Amino acid sequence: MNSSSITPHVLRFIGMVAVQSLLLNQMTGSIGAYFNVLLYPLFILFLPLQMAAPYLILLGFAVGVAVDAFVPSWGIHAGAGAFSAFARGLALLPFAPKGGFSTKDSIFAPATMGWQTFLQGTALFMAMHLLWYFSFSYFSHLFALEIVKKTAAAWGLTMIFVALYAAMFNPKK
Amino acid sequence: MDDEHKVLRPSFSFIVPPMGKLLELLLRNGGFVTFLVVEVICFAMMVNFNTRQGEIWANTTGIFGGRALEKRQMASDYFNLYERADSLAHLVDSLQLRLSNARQVQVPIRDTFFLVSYDSLSRTDSTLRKTVRPQFQSVTARVIKNSVSGANNWLIINRGSSDGVKTDMAVLSPVGIVGIVRHVSPHFSLVMSVLHQQAKISAALPQQKNAFGSLTWDGGDPTVMTLRYIPQHFVVKENEPVVTSGYSLMFPQGHPVGKVYGTPKTDAENPYFLEIKVKLHQDMTTVRDVSVVQNLFQAEIDSLQLKIKANEQ
Repeated sequence: MNSSSITPHVLRFIGMVAVQSLLLNQMTGSIGAYFNVLLYPLFILFLPLQMAAPYLILLGFAVGVAVDAFVPSWGIHAGAGAFSAFARGLALLPFAPKGGFSTKDSIFAPATMGWQTFLQGTALFMAMHLLWYFSFSYFSHLFALEIVKKTAAAWGLTMIFVALYAAMFNPKK
Repeated sequence: MDDEHKVLRPSFSFIVPPMGKLLELLLRNGGFVTFLVVEVICFAMMVNFNTRQGEIWANTTGIFGGRALEKRQMASDYFNLYERADSLAHLVDSLQLRLSNARQVQVPIRDTFFLVSYDSLSRTDSTLRKTVRPQFQSVTARVIKNSVSGANNWLIINRGSSDGVKTDMAVLSPVGIVGIVRHVSPHFSLVMSVLHQQAKISAALPQQKNAFGSLTWDGGDPTVMTLRYIPQHFVVKENEPVVTSGYSLMFPQGHPVGKVYGTPKTDAENPYFLEIKVKLHQDMTTVRDVSVVQNLFQAEIDSLQLKIKANEQ
């Protein structure tokens, strides 16, 4: 991985953390507890498909910690980020071509996978991330209904923002 | 592995040898080990650095360990029989007083006594069972876990949904107020203590024509709460009794709370009202035997309040 291929990921890391912390989390505070949009998992989704799992998990942890630092909610986004990085391979498995992803498919994006596959894969990935995030933040069966309701509401809202982001920036690498 | 499917593995040779080797060893042992290590770190961060998650963790482990705690409590009870007898004597005194006013009957159900309060004014003839209108129903319980040192404190009691306990029921001791049920499991309930900064209880001053205000805990001394929203024109004296107003619907009217502590002063945030310190009758550090109280008319009154809101919109 050379410096030119790292640059988009670094910029995405900074941009996602800034948008999440300074805009989306503030909207939750002013609109209501059920308005949750988590856009930063896209940083994990857009990491190279060939990246080894341990590095992916550490980067997922890093982006989560960065978001946690602004809230502050130490460990909650970090745990969810690490989980999403670990589970990304599983979420995208149904959408991989025969023989698996190759280096030609640099990232999982509309430009490389097509819009339909991208949205289906991202929907599953985001559902897993959000379910883990809310389960991790409550971690008690007493809040099971609250977790399901918040996950469902956040998933719908997040997918709207994902589609807008992909349409605006159309990432290719 | 061909070039197309090779996996990207950054090198850690730039890190000093021992740490670099440890990191490489961890990373080469696959994603699952890394995932587990990272999640354990995150979990530890979460329960140690976030107040809300720390409380949920402490109380969840408390509920799951409730049975073990109860067994341990039974053993320690044996050595504290004198104090227990004293506490139960107070409870009996309190119940006898209420019985003498003919406002309660005891209905034994399974191993629990449900105490049913009746509004004596609702009687229309001398046949009690035909005419009484139950207002409050209560079940006795014992505190098996308690905290008083945090900014937001919780208790666990040994009665749950299988004993008829529901959320938003008031928890009282014979001498004072204890808290509000927030979550229930089949055999235990999690109670938000009055020593919780979100707890607001409507309390009244019976010697001031039942002037009422809101009782909250500002942290610090666990024996003192603050009564606000009593207008300035009331001349409130030290040691005046403070009781529940009954306006919160959860707590029965007139249950003892405490007494006025020190001289009331003007509320700095709202100068039209007094800020009154209240010394609690119930020492929250020693609370043991409690009653969980349900207002049987709460749903009916709530539905009326909804109509008021609908009319105002």
